[in-house]
Amino acid sequence: MDLNKALKPGIRTKIVNFFHENQSSIDTPRGVAAWIDEDRGKVKKALEELTSCNILIAHRSTSTTGYSYTRDPKLISNIVKLLKKRPA
Amino acid sequence: MEEIRGQNTYQIELFERLRRSVSLKKAEECFGCIIKPAFWWIIDKPNPKTKEIEDLLKQSYHSIKKIFTDKSGECLNTLAETLKKSAEHKKLLSFDCMEDFHGFVFPIAQGDKIYGYIGACYSRKEISSEALQIFPAFADTIVKEVQKEIELSKLYETLRPRAIALSTVHTVHRLISSTLDLGELLPRIARLSLQIMRAQRCSVKLVDSKRKLLLPKVTVDLRAKKIRLKKVKVGMWAPGKAFKYGRPVRARDYLATPLIDEDIIGVITLYDKIDKKPFTAFDQEIMSTMAEQAVIAIKNAQLYKEQERLTMGTIKALAKVLDTRAPGTYVPRVSSVKIAQCIGQEQMMDADSLKSLEYASVLHDAGEVFVPKAVLAKPTKLTGKEYKMVKAHPAAGVEIIKHIKALKGVTPIIMYHHENYDGSGYPKGLKKDQIPLGARIMAVVSAFESMISKKPYRAAKSISEAVMEVSRNSGTQFDPKVVDSFLNVMRRKDIKDAVKRDQRESNYIR
Repeated sequence: MDLNKALKPGIRTKIVNFFHENQSSIDTPRGVAAWIDEDRGKVKKALEELTSCNILIAHRSTSTTGYSYTRDPKLISNIVKLLKKRPA
Repeated sequence: MEEIRGQNTYQIELFERLRRSVSLKKAEECFGCIIKPAFWWIIDKPNPKTKEIEDLLKQSYHSIKKIFTDKSGECLNTLAETLKKSAEHKKLLSFDCMEDFHGFVFPIAQGDKIYGYIGACYSRKEISSEALQIFPAFADTIVKEVQKEIELSKLYETLRPRAIALSTVHTVHRLISSTLDLGELLPRIARLSLQIMRAQRCSVKLVDSKRKLLLPKVTVDLRAKKIRLKKVKVGMWAPGKAFKYGRPVRARDYLATPLIDEDIIGVITLYDKIDKKPFTAFDQEIMSTMAEQAVIAIKNAQLYKEQERLTMGTIKALAKVLDTRAPGTYVPRVSSVKIAQCIGQEQMMDADSLKSLEYASVLHDAGEVFVPKAVLAKPTKLTGKEYKMVKAHPAAGVEIIKHIKALKGVTPIIMYHHENYDGSGYPKGLKKDQIPLGARIMAVVSAFESMISKKPYRAAKSISEAVMEVSRNSGTQFDPKVVDSFLNVMRRKDIKDAVKRDQRESNYIR
Protein backbone atom coordinates (compact mmCIF):
# COMPACT_ATOMS: atom_id res chain seq x y z
CA MET A 1 0.00 0.00 0.00
CA ASP A 2 1.46 3.39 -0.95
CA LEU A 3 1.47 6.43 1.32
CA ASN A 4 -1.32 8.16 -0.60
CA LYS A 5 -3.64 5.21 -0.21
CA ALA A 6 -2.62 4.59 3.40
CA LEU A 7 -3.50 8.12 4.40
CA LYS A 8 -6.95 8.40 2.87
CA PRO A 9 -9.31 10.01 5.39
CA GLY A 10 -10.45 7.52 7.99
CA ILE A 11 -9.14 5.37 10.77
CA ARG A 12 -5.61 5.02 9.33
CA THR A 13 -5.20 8.78 9.16
CA LYS A 14 -6.44 9.10 12.74
CA ILE A 15 -3.84 6.56 13.85
CA VAL A 16 -1.04 8.27 11.93
CA ASN A 17 -2.10 11.64 13.37
CA PHE A 18 -1.95 10.13 16.87
CA PHE A 19 1.53 8.69 16.35
CA HIS A 20 2.74 11.84 14.59
CA GLU A 21 1.65 13.96 17.57
CA ASN A 22 3.05 11.41 20.05
CA GLN A 23 6.17 10.17 18.35
CA SER A 24 7.59 8.57 21.52
CA SER A 25 4.51 6.47 22.01
CA ILE A 26 4.49 2.68 21.83
CA ASP A 27 1.03 1.28 22.28
CA THR A 28 -1.10 -1.82 21.86
CA PRO A 29 -4.19 -1.96 19.61
CA ARG A 30 -6.32 -1.58 22.74
CA GLY A 31 -4.38 1.54 23.80
CA VAL A 32 -4.48 3.17 20.36
CA ALA A 33 -8.19 2.40 20.04
CA ALA A 34 -8.77 4.23 23.34
CA TRP A 35 -6.72 7.28 22.31
CA ILE A 36 -8.47 7.74 18.99
CA ASP A 37 -11.85 6.50 20.21
CA GLU A 38 -12.33 3.79 17.59
CA ASP A 39 -13.22 0.10 17.53
CA ARG A 40 -10.32 -2.14 18.64
CA GLY A 41 -10.77 -4.70 15.84
CA LYS A 42 -10.69 -2.03 13.14
CA VAL A 43 -7.71 -0.34 14.80
CA LYS A 44 -5.82 -3.65 14.94
CA LYS A 45 -6.36 -4.20 11.21
CA ALA A 46 -5.35 -0.63 10.37
CA LEU A 47 -2.22 -0.87 12.55
CA GLU A 48 -1.07 -3.93 10.61
CA GLU A 49 -1.75 -2.18 7.29
CA LEU A 50 0.28 0.84 8.41
CA THR A 51 3.06 -1.49 9.58
CA SER A 52 3.15 -3.17 6.17
CA CYS A 53 3.85 0.20 4.53
CA ASN A 54 6.52 1.07 7.14
CA ILE A 55 4.64 4.02 8.64
CA LEU A 56 4.54 2.12 11.91
CA ILE A 57 6.96 -0.31 13.53
CA ALA A 58 5.53 -3.43 15.19
CA HIS A 59 7.27 -4.67 18.33
CA ARG A 60 6.01 -8.22 18.65
CA SER A 61 6.16 -10.45 21.70
CA THR A 62 4.37 -13.61 22.74
CA SER A 63 1.85 -11.70 24.85
CA THR A 64 1.19 -8.57 22.79
CA THR A 65 2.30 -6.30 19.96
CA GLY A 66 3.30 -2.70 20.54
CA TYR A 67 3.20 -0.26 17.65
CA SER A 68 5.32 2.86 17.27
CA TYR A 69 5.96 5.57 14.69
CA THR A 70 8.53 5.34 11.91
CA ARG A 71 11.97 6.81 12.58
CA ASP A 72 12.59 7.61 8.92
CA PRO A 73 12.79 11.45 8.63
CA LYS A 74 12.08 11.40 4.89
CA LEU A 75 8.95 9.31 5.36
CA ILE A 76 7.83 11.54 8.25
CA SER A 77 8.27 14.61 6.06
CA ASN A 78 6.12 13.02 3.32
CA ILE A 79 3.51 12.09 5.92
CA VAL A 80 3.42 15.71 7.17
CA LYS A 81 2.76 16.95 3.63
CA LEU A 82 -0.10 14.50 3.17
CA LEU A 83 -1.59 15.14 6.62
CA LYS A 84 -1.68 18.86 5.89
CA LYS A 85 -3.64 18.16 2.72
CA ARG A 86 -5.94 15.63 4.38
CA PRO A 87 -6.64 16.27 8.04
CA ALA A 88 -8.32 13.36 9.85
CA MET B 1 -17.85 42.21 19.76
CA GLU B 2 -14.52 43.89 19.19
CA GLU B 3 -11.45 43.78 21.35
CA ILE B 4 -7.94 44.95 22.03
CA ARG B 5 -5.08 42.48 22.57
CA GLY B 6 -3.34 42.18 25.89
CA GLN B 7 -0.02 40.68 26.86
CA ASN B 8 0.11 37.73 29.18
CA THR B 9 -0.53 34.19 27.90
CA TYR B 10 -3.52 33.44 30.11
CA GLN B 11 -5.02 36.81 29.25
CA ILE B 12 -4.45 36.25 25.54
CA GLU B 13 -6.13 32.85 25.70
CA LEU B 14 -8.95 34.16 27.88
CA PHE B 15 -9.74 37.01 25.49
CA GLU B 16 -9.29 34.88 22.39
CA ARG B 17 -11.80 32.42 23.75
CA LEU B 18 -14.15 35.25 24.80
CA ARG B 19 -13.89 36.66 21.30
CA ARG B 20 -14.92 33.27 19.87
CA SER B 21 -17.56 32.65 22.54
CA VAL B 22 -20.94 31.91 20.99
CA SER B 23 -22.62 32.62 24.34
CA LEU B 24 -21.11 36.11 24.46
CA LYS B 25 -22.20 36.82 20.90
CA LYS B 26 -25.73 35.79 21.82
CA ALA B 27 -25.61 38.01 24.92
CA GLU B 28 -24.53 40.93 22.67
CA GLU B 29 -27.46 40.33 20.34
CA CYS B 30 -29.87 40.01 23.22
CA PHE B 31 -28.72 43.15 25.06
CA GLY B 32 -28.20 44.95 21.77
CA CYS B 33 -31.95 44.82 21.34
CA ILE B 34 -32.43 46.57 24.67
CA ILE B 35 -29.67 49.17 24.66
CA LYS B 36 -29.27 49.75 20.91
CA PRO B 37 -27.38 50.94 19.11
CA ALA B 38 -24.64 50.04 21.49
CA PHE B 39 -21.06 49.74 20.41
CA TRP B 40 -19.50 46.71 22.11
CA TRP B 41 -15.86 46.35 23.03
CA ILE B 42 -13.43 44.32 25.07
CA ILE B 43 -10.30 45.75 26.66
CA ASP B 44 -7.84 43.09 27.80
CA LYS B 45 -5.75 45.31 30.06
CA PRO B 46 -6.50 45.64 33.76
CA ASN B 47 -5.33 49.28 34.20
CA PRO B 48 -5.33 51.09 30.89
CA LYS B 49 -4.53 54.82 30.95
CA THR B 50 -6.62 57.27 28.94
CA LYS B 51 -3.96 57.58 26.25
CA GLU B 52 -3.57 53.82 26.13
CA ILE B 53 -7.34 53.34 25.76
CA GLU B 54 -7.37 55.81 22.90
CA ASP B 55 -4.36 54.25 21.21
CA LEU B 56 -5.63 50.73 21.65
CA LEU B 57 -9.09 51.63 20.40
CA LYS B 58 -7.77 53.64 17.45
CA GLN B 59 -5.20 51.00 16.62
CA SER B 60 -7.78 48.31 16.51
CA TYR B 61 -10.92 49.91 15.21
CA HIS B 62 -10.98 52.06 12.21
CA SER B 63 -14.62 52.90 12.80
CA ILE B 64 -13.75 54.46 16.14
CA LYS B 65 -11.49 57.02 14.50
CA LYS B 66 -14.53 58.85 13.18
CA ILE B 67 -16.16 58.96 16.59
CA PHE B 68 -12.98 60.22 18.20
CA THR B 69 -12.60 63.23 16.03
CA ASP B 70 -14.57 65.57 18.30
CA LYS B 71 -14.81 65.57 22.03
CA SER B 72 -12.75 62.42 22.17
CA GLY B 73 -10.90 63.70 25.23
CA GLU B 74 -14.07 64.04 27.24
CA CYS B 75 -15.25 60.63 26.08
CA LEU B 76 -12.01 58.84 26.93
CA ASN B 77 -11.74 60.52 30.34
CA THR B 78 -15.22 59.31 31.22
CA LEU B 79 -14.41 55.81 30.03
CA ALA B 80 -11.07 55.69 31.90
CA GLU B 81 -12.65 56.93 35.10
CA THR B 82 -15.46 54.36 34.85
CA LEU B 83 -12.98 51.54 34.15
CA LYS B 84 -11.05 52.53 37.26
CA LYS B 85 -14.14 52.66 39.47
CA SER B 86 -15.43 49.39 38.02
CA ALA B 87 -12.11 47.72 38.84
CA GLU B 88 -12.18 49.13 42.38
CA HIS B 89 -15.74 47.95 43.06
CA LYS B 90 -15.43 44.86 40.87
CA LYS B 91 -18.88 45.39 39.46
CA LEU B 92 -20.72 46.68 36.43
CA LEU B 93 -20.94 50.48 36.26
CA SER B 94 -22.92 52.56 33.82
CA PHE B 95 -21.91 55.99 32.61
CA ASP B 96 -23.22 58.94 30.58
CA CYS B 97 -20.99 60.35 27.93
CA MET B 98 -21.13 63.66 26.08
CA GLU B 99 -24.71 64.79 25.66
CA ASP B 100 -26.97 61.91 24.77
CA PHE B 101 -24.79 58.85 24.95
CA HIS B 102 -24.78 56.12 27.56
CA GLY B 103 -22.66 53.05 28.25
CA PHE B 104 -21.47 50.54 30.83
CA VAL B 105 -18.27 48.76 31.88
CA PHE B 106 -18.11 45.23 33.27
CA PRO B 107 -14.81 44.03 34.81
CA ILE B 108 -13.56 40.54 33.88
CA ALA B 109 -12.13 39.27 37.12
CA GLN B 110 -11.04 36.10 38.86
CA GLY B 111 -10.80 36.53 42.63
CA ASP B 112 -9.04 39.85 43.19
CA LYS B 113 -7.37 39.88 39.81
CA ILE B 114 -8.83 42.04 37.04
CA TYR B 115 -7.97 40.85 33.52
CA GLY B 116 -9.87 43.39 31.45
CA TYR B 117 -13.31 44.70 30.65
CA ILE B 118 -16.35 44.15 28.51
CA GLY B 119 -18.31 47.26 27.75
CA ALA B 120 -20.77 49.05 25.54
CA CYS B 121 -20.73 52.70 24.47
CA TYR B 122 -22.73 55.16 22.44
CA SER B 123 -26.12 53.92 23.33
CA ARG B 124 -28.58 56.65 22.54
CA LYS B 125 -31.04 55.11 24.94
CA GLU B 126 -30.45 55.26 28.67
CA ILE B 127 -29.57 51.80 29.90
CA SER B 128 -32.33 50.46 32.09
CA SER B 129 -31.64 49.30 35.64
CA GLU B 130 -33.08 45.86 34.73
CA ALA B 131 -30.56 45.48 31.94
CA LEU B 132 -27.79 46.60 34.26
CA GLN B 133 -28.83 43.94 36.75
CA ILE B 134 -29.18 41.09 34.24
CA PHE B 135 -26.03 41.69 32.17
CA PRO B 136 -23.49 41.01 34.99
CA ALA B 137 -25.12 37.64 35.68
CA PHE B 138 -24.89 36.73 31.97
CA ALA B 139 -21.35 38.05 31.55
CA ASP B 140 -20.14 36.43 34.74
CA THR B 141 -21.45 33.04 33.67
CA ILE B 142 -19.88 33.41 30.23
CA VAL B 143 -16.50 34.46 31.64
CA LYS B 144 -16.55 31.59 34.15
CA GLU B 145 -17.45 29.18 31.35
CA VAL B 146 -14.47 30.39 29.33
CA GLN B 147 -12.19 30.19 32.36
CA LYS B 148 -13.32 26.60 32.97
CA GLU B 149 -12.65 25.80 29.32
CA ILE B 150 -9.09 27.11 29.75
CA GLU B 151 -8.59 25.09 32.94
CA LEU B 152 -9.89 21.94 31.25
CA SER B 153 -7.76 22.54 28.21
CA LYS B 154 -4.66 23.02 30.37
CA LEU B 155 -5.51 19.88 32.33
CA TYR B 156 -5.95 17.97 29.06
CA GLU B 157 -2.66 19.31 27.72
CA THR B 158 -0.88 18.27 30.92
CA LEU B 159 -2.56 14.94 31.53
CA ARG B 160 -2.90 13.54 28.03
CA PRO B 161 0.85 13.33 27.22
CA ARG B 162 1.46 11.83 30.66
CA ALA B 163 -1.34 9.31 30.21
CA ILE B 164 0.06 8.40 26.78
CA ALA B 165 3.56 8.11 28.27
CA LEU B 166 2.17 5.91 31.05
CA SER B 167 0.44 3.72 28.50
CA THR B 168 3.76 3.47 26.63
CA VAL B 169 5.55 2.41 29.80
CA HIS B 170 2.85 -0.21 30.41
CA THR B 171 3.19 -1.55 26.85
CA VAL B 172 6.97 -1.63 27.19
CA HIS B 173 6.60 -3.53 30.45
CA ARG B 174 4.46 -6.12 28.70
CA LEU B 175 6.86 -6.37 25.78
CA ILE B 176 9.98 -6.86 27.86
CA SER B 177 8.51 -9.09 30.53
CA SER B 178 7.30 -11.58 27.93
CA THR B 179 10.76 -13.03 27.41
CA LEU B 180 13.16 -14.68 29.83
CA ASP B 181 15.92 -15.01 27.26
CA LEU B 182 18.59 -12.37 27.92
CA GLY B 183 19.80 -12.66 24.32
CA GLU B 184 16.36 -11.56 23.17
CA LEU B 185 15.57 -9.24 26.06
CA LEU B 186 18.54 -6.84 25.94
CA PRO B 187 18.22 -5.96 22.21
CA ARG B 188 14.50 -5.50 22.78
CA ILE B 189 15.16 -3.08 25.66
CA ALA B 190 17.62 -1.17 23.46
CA ARG B 191 15.22 -0.93 20.51
CA LEU B 192 12.28 0.14 22.69
CA SER B 193 14.43 2.77 24.45
CA LEU B 194 15.52 4.13 21.06
CA GLN B 195 11.91 4.34 20.01
CA ILE B 196 10.68 6.07 23.14
CA MET B 197 13.49 8.60 23.16
CA ARG B 198 13.63 9.00 19.36
CA ALA B 199 17.38 8.61 19.66
CA GLN B 200 19.96 7.41 17.15
CA ARG B 201 21.96 5.03 19.35
CA CYS B 202 21.35 2.97 22.45
CA SER B 203 23.73 0.75 24.36
CA VAL B 204 22.98 -1.55 27.26
CA LYS B 205 25.92 -2.39 29.47
CA LEU B 206 25.93 -4.79 32.41
CA VAL B 207 28.44 -4.64 35.22
CA ASP B 208 31.29 -7.03 35.85
CA SER B 209 31.72 -6.05 39.49
CA LYS B 210 34.93 -8.04 39.99
CA ARG B 211 36.74 -6.10 37.30
CA LYS B 212 34.87 -2.83 37.92
CA LEU B 213 33.89 -2.73 34.28
CA LEU B 214 30.69 -2.16 32.36
CA LEU B 215 30.51 -4.82 29.67
CA PRO B 216 28.68 -3.93 26.46
CA LYS B 217 25.86 -6.40 25.93
CA VAL B 218 24.04 -4.75 23.06
CA THR B 219 24.32 -1.58 21.00
CA VAL B 220 21.77 -0.51 18.41
CA ASP B 221 22.85 2.34 16.14
CA LEU B 222 20.51 3.55 13.43
CA ARG B 223 23.34 5.25 11.55
CA ALA B 224 26.34 2.93 11.76
CA LYS B 225 26.58 -0.34 9.87
CA LYS B 226 29.42 -1.60 12.03
CA ILE B 227 29.17 -1.25 15.77
CA ARG B 228 32.11 -1.40 18.15
CA LEU B 229 31.18 -2.69 21.55
CA LYS B 230 33.30 -0.84 24.10
CA LYS B 231 33.95 -1.78 27.69
CA VAL B 232 33.70 1.16 30.07
CA LYS B 233 35.48 1.56 33.37
CA VAL B 234 33.31 2.51 36.35
CA GLY B 235 33.45 6.31 36.71
CA MET B 236 34.45 6.91 33.10
CA TRP B 237 32.27 8.43 30.39
CA ALA B 238 28.52 8.87 30.80
CA PRO B 239 27.66 5.19 31.50
CA GLY B 240 30.55 4.83 33.96
CA LYS B 241 29.50 7.98 35.81
CA ALA B 242 25.82 7.00 35.90
CA PHE B 243 26.91 3.67 37.37
CA LYS B 244 29.30 5.20 39.88
CA TYR B 245 26.89 7.83 41.20
CA GLY B 246 23.73 5.69 40.87
CA ARG B 247 21.77 8.43 39.12
CA PRO B 248 21.06 9.47 35.53
CA VAL B 249 23.72 11.49 33.74
CA ARG B 250 22.24 13.83 31.15
CA ALA B 251 23.77 16.22 28.66
CA ARG B 252 22.54 17.70 25.41
CA ASP B 253 23.43 14.65 23.31
CA TYR B 254 23.31 11.74 25.72
CA LEU B 255 21.33 10.29 28.59
CA ALA B 256 22.76 7.48 30.73
CA THR B 257 20.34 5.79 33.13
CA PRO B 258 21.49 3.27 35.73
CA LEU B 259 19.66 -0.04 36.09
CA ILE B 260 19.09 -0.10 39.82
CA ASP B 261 17.75 -3.11 41.69
CA GLU B 262 19.14 -3.74 45.20
CA ASP B 263 22.42 -2.75 43.64
CA ILE B 264 23.25 -1.30 40.22
CA ILE B 265 23.42 -4.00 37.57
CA GLY B 266 24.12 -1.88 34.50
CA VAL B 267 23.39 1.24 32.49
CA ILE B 268 21.23 2.11 29.47
CA THR B 269 22.75 4.96 27.47
CA LEU B 270 21.05 6.84 24.66
CA TYR B 271 22.82 9.14 22.23
CA ASP B 272 21.73 11.82 19.72
CA LYS B 273 18.05 12.47 19.24
CA ILE B 274 16.76 12.08 15.69
CA ASP B 275 15.45 15.67 15.66
CA LYS B 276 18.78 16.89 17.12
CA LYS B 277 16.98 18.35 20.15
CA PRO B 278 18.57 17.98 23.61
CA PHE B 279 17.54 15.29 26.09
CA THR B 280 15.11 16.82 28.58
CA ALA B 281 14.16 16.31 32.23
CA PHE B 282 10.97 14.60 31.00
CA ASP B 283 13.10 12.18 28.92
CA GLN B 284 15.12 11.47 32.05
CA GLU B 285 11.93 10.77 34.01
CA ILE B 286 10.61 8.41 31.33
CA MET B 287 13.95 6.58 30.99
CA SER B 288 14.16 6.14 34.77
CA THR B 289 10.76 4.43 34.68
CA MET B 290 11.87 2.39 31.66
CA ALA B 291 15.04 1.37 33.55
CA GLU B 292 12.94 0.25 36.53
CA GLN B 293 10.95 -2.03 34.22
CA ALA B 294 14.09 -3.21 32.43
CA VAL B 295 15.94 -4.12 35.60
CA ILE B 296 13.09 -6.36 36.77
CA ALA B 297 12.99 -8.11 33.40
CA ILE B 298 16.79 -8.50 33.32
CA LYS B 299 16.87 -9.87 36.87
CA ASN B 300 14.08 -12.33 36.04
CA ALA B 301 15.92 -13.47 32.92
CA GLN B 302 19.18 -13.84 34.86
CA LEU B 303 17.40 -15.84 37.56
CA TYR B 304 15.72 -18.02 34.95
CA LYS B 305 19.06 -18.62 33.24
CA GLU B 306 20.60 -19.49 36.59
CA GLN B 307 17.75 -21.88 37.31
CA GLU B 308 18.22 -23.47 33.89
CA ARG B 309 21.94 -23.83 34.53
CA LEU B 310 21.16 -25.41 37.87
CA THR B 311 18.66 -27.83 36.32
CA MET B 312 21.09 -28.77 33.53
CA GLY B 313 23.86 -29.14 36.11
CA THR B 314 21.66 -31.47 38.16
CA ILE B 315 20.81 -33.50 35.07
CA LYS B 316 24.46 -33.75 34.04
CA ALA B 317 25.46 -34.73 37.58
CA LEU B 318 22.78 -37.42 37.52
CA ALA B 319 24.06 -38.62 34.15
CA LYS B 320 27.61 -38.73 35.48
CA VAL B 321 26.52 -40.81 38.47
CA LEU B 322 24.64 -43.20 36.17
CA ASP B 323 27.61 -43.26 33.82
CA THR B 324 29.89 -44.70 36.49
CA ARG B 325 27.85 -47.88 36.21
CA ALA B 326 28.17 -48.19 32.45
CA PRO B 327 30.70 -45.66 31.13
CA GLY B 328 29.61 -43.90 27.98
CA THR B 329 25.96 -44.90 28.29
CA TYR B 330 24.43 -41.75 29.76
CA VAL B 331 26.66 -38.81 28.89
CA PRO B 332 25.26 -37.77 25.49
CA ARG B 333 27.21 -36.64 22.48
CA VAL B 334 27.16 -32.87 21.99
CA SER B 335 26.13 -33.44 18.38
CA SER B 336 23.08 -35.52 19.41
CA VAL B 337 21.77 -32.70 21.59
CA LYS B 338 22.34 -30.30 18.71
CA ILE B 339 20.64 -32.56 16.14
CA ALA B 340 17.61 -32.95 18.43
CA GLN B 341 17.41 -29.16 18.89
CA CYS B 342 17.68 -28.50 15.15
CA ILE B 343 14.96 -31.04 14.33
CA GLY B 344 12.80 -29.48 17.07
CA GLN B 345 13.31 -26.04 15.52
CA GLU B 346 12.41 -27.37 12.06
CA GLN B 347 9.28 -28.83 13.59
CA MET B 348 8.43 -25.36 15.02
CA MET B 349 8.65 -26.44 18.66
CA ASP B 350 8.35 -23.62 21.20
CA ALA B 351 11.18 -22.64 23.55
CA ASP B 352 9.88 -24.71 26.48
CA SER B 353 9.52 -27.84 24.36
CA LEU B 354 13.02 -27.34 22.94
CA LYS B 355 14.38 -27.06 26.47
CA SER B 356 12.59 -30.30 27.46
CA LEU B 357 14.08 -31.95 24.37
CA GLU B 358 17.54 -30.80 25.46
CA TYR B 359 17.07 -32.27 28.94
CA ALA B 360 15.63 -35.46 27.47
CA SER B 361 18.69 -35.81 25.21
CA VAL B 362 20.69 -36.37 28.40
CA LEU B 363 18.19 -38.38 30.41
CA HIS B 364 16.19 -40.47 27.92
CA ASP B 365 17.90 -43.74 28.86
CA ALA B 366 18.33 -43.04 32.58
CA GLY B 367 15.93 -45.89 33.39
CA GLU B 368 18.45 -48.39 32.00
CA VAL B 369 20.16 -48.08 35.36
CA PHE B 370 17.63 -50.64 36.59
CA VAL B 371 18.42 -53.06 33.76
CA PRO B 372 21.22 -55.49 34.58
CA LYS B 373 24.48 -54.63 32.82
CA ALA B 374 24.70 -58.17 31.41
CA VAL B 375 21.34 -57.72 29.70
CA LEU B 376 22.30 -54.38 28.13
CA ALA B 377 25.60 -55.79 26.85
CA LYS B 378 24.22 -59.17 25.77
CA PRO B 379 25.50 -59.90 22.23
CA THR B 380 22.82 -62.52 21.51
CA LYS B 381 19.03 -62.35 21.35
CA LEU B 382 17.32 -61.35 24.64
CA THR B 383 15.04 -63.79 26.40
CA GLY B 384 11.43 -62.80 27.03
CA LYS B 385 12.21 -61.90 30.63
CA GLU B 386 15.24 -59.83 29.61
CA TYR B 387 13.27 -58.00 26.92
CA LYS B 388 10.59 -57.22 29.50
CA MET B 389 13.28 -55.64 31.70
CA VAL B 390 14.53 -53.51 28.79
CA LYS B 391 10.98 -52.45 27.92
CA ALA B 392 10.53 -51.24 31.49
CA HIS B 393 13.40 -48.71 31.25
CA PRO B 394 11.34 -45.71 29.96
CA ALA B 395 8.95 -45.98 32.92
CA ALA B 396 11.91 -46.44 35.26
CA GLY B 397 13.48 -43.27 33.80
CA VAL B 398 10.27 -41.36 34.48
CA GLU B 399 10.34 -42.63 38.08
CA ILE B 400 13.82 -41.13 38.52
CA ILE B 401 12.86 -37.62 37.37
CA LYS B 402 9.20 -37.37 38.30
CA HIS B 403 9.88 -35.40 41.49
CA ILE B 404 11.83 -32.69 39.66
CA LYS B 405 9.19 -30.11 38.73
CA ALA B 406 11.41 -28.44 36.13
CA LEU B 407 11.51 -31.73 34.20
CA LYS B 408 7.75 -32.14 33.87
CA GLY B 409 7.94 -31.60 30.11
CA VAL B 410 10.67 -34.24 29.80
CA THR B 411 8.64 -37.19 31.13
CA PRO B 412 6.52 -37.85 27.97
CA ILE B 413 9.68 -37.79 25.85
CA ILE B 414 11.42 -40.33 28.10
CA MET B 415 8.28 -42.43 28.48
CA TYR B 416 7.57 -42.77 24.75
CA HIS B 417 10.91 -42.46 22.96
CA HIS B 418 10.87 -46.20 22.17
CA GLU B 419 7.42 -46.08 20.60
CA ASN B 420 7.43 -46.75 16.85
CA TYR B 421 5.48 -44.70 14.35
CA ASP B 422 3.64 -47.80 13.13
CA GLY B 423 2.62 -48.82 16.67
CA SER B 424 5.14 -51.64 17.03
CA GLY B 425 7.21 -50.02 19.80
CA TYR B 426 6.99 -50.02 23.60
CA PRO B 427 5.86 -49.45 26.34
CA LYS B 428 2.29 -48.75 25.12
CA GLY B 429 2.35 -49.44 21.40
CA LEU B 430 1.29 -45.89 20.55
CA LYS B 431 1.27 -44.91 16.90
CA LYS B 432 1.63 -41.77 14.75
CA ASP B 433 0.44 -38.56 16.46
CA GLN B 434 -0.40 -40.47 19.66
CA ILE B 435 3.34 -40.36 20.29
CA PRO B 436 4.43 -36.92 21.57
CA LEU B 437 6.52 -34.98 19.01
CA GLY B 438 9.50 -34.75 21.39
CA ALA B 439 9.48 -38.55 21.77
CA ARG B 440 9.28 -39.03 17.97
CA ILE B 441 12.32 -36.77 17.58
CA MET B 442 14.19 -38.47 20.41
CA ALA B 443 13.48 -41.87 18.81
CA VAL B 444 15.31 -40.81 15.64
CA VAL B 445 18.22 -39.08 17.40
CA SER B 446 18.66 -41.87 19.95
CA ALA B 447 18.64 -44.56 17.23
CA PHE B 448 21.12 -42.59 15.10
CA GLU B 449 23.41 -42.06 18.08
CA SER B 450 23.25 -45.74 18.97
CA MET B 451 24.01 -46.81 15.38
CA ILE B 452 27.18 -44.72 15.08
CA SER B 453 28.42 -45.95 18.49
CA LYS B 454 30.44 -49.07 19.01
CA LYS B 455 28.56 -51.61 21.11
CA PRO B 456 29.93 -54.69 22.93
CA TYR B 457 27.93 -56.83 20.57
CA ARG B 458 28.55 -54.97 17.24
CA ALA B 459 30.75 -52.48 15.44
CA ALA B 460 29.72 -48.85 14.89
CA LYS B 461 28.06 -47.91 11.59
CA SER B 462 29.43 -45.04 9.53
CA ILE B 463 27.51 -41.76 9.59
CA SER B 464 26.15 -42.22 6.07
CA GLU B 465 25.13 -45.82 6.82
CA ALA B 466 23.28 -44.68 9.93
CA VAL B 467 21.56 -41.85 8.06
CA MET B 468 20.44 -44.34 5.37
CA GLU B 469 19.18 -46.71 8.03
CA VAL B 470 17.09 -43.94 9.61
CA SER B 471 15.75 -43.01 6.17
CA ARG B 472 14.88 -46.66 5.44
CA ASN B 473 12.77 -46.84 8.58
CA SER B 474 10.81 -43.68 7.82
CA GLY B 475 7.09 -44.32 8.15
CA THR B 476 7.57 -47.59 10.07
CA GLN B 477 9.83 -47.02 13.06
CA PHE B 478 10.10 -43.25 12.63
CA ASP B 479 7.77 -40.34 11.85
CA PRO B 480 8.40 -39.43 8.16
CA LYS B 481 8.18 -35.69 8.89
CA VAL B 482 10.77 -35.99 11.65
CA VAL B 483 12.99 -38.09 9.36
CA ASP B 484 12.72 -35.36 6.67
CA SER B 485 13.85 -32.78 9.23
CA PHE B 486 16.64 -35.12 10.37
CA LEU B 487 17.86 -35.50 6.79
CA ASN B 488 17.79 -31.71 6.32
CA VAL B 489 19.76 -31.22 9.53
CA MET B 490 22.29 -33.89 8.58
CA ARG B 491 23.04 -32.02 5.33
CA ARG B 492 24.40 -29.10 7.36
CA LYS B 493 28.20 -28.88 7.42
CA ASP B 494 28.35 -27.72 11.06
CA ILE B 495 26.29 -30.74 12.14
CA LYS B 496 28.36 -33.19 10.08
CA ASP B 497 31.53 -31.70 11.59
CA ALA B 498 30.11 -31.95 15.12
CA VAL B 499 29.14 -35.62 14.63
CA LYS B 500 32.61 -36.43 13.24
CA ARG B 501 34.29 -34.59 16.11
CA ASP B 502 32.17 -36.53 18.62
CA GLN B 503 33.06 -39.80 16.91
CA ARG B 504 36.78 -38.97 17.05
CA GLU B 505 36.61 -37.90 20.68
CA SER B 506 34.51 -40.81 21.95
CA ASN B 507 36.87 -43.58 22.80
CA TYR B 508 34.33 -45.35 24.91
CA ILE B 509 31.86 -48.01 23.99
CA ARG B 510 28.23 -46.96 23.79
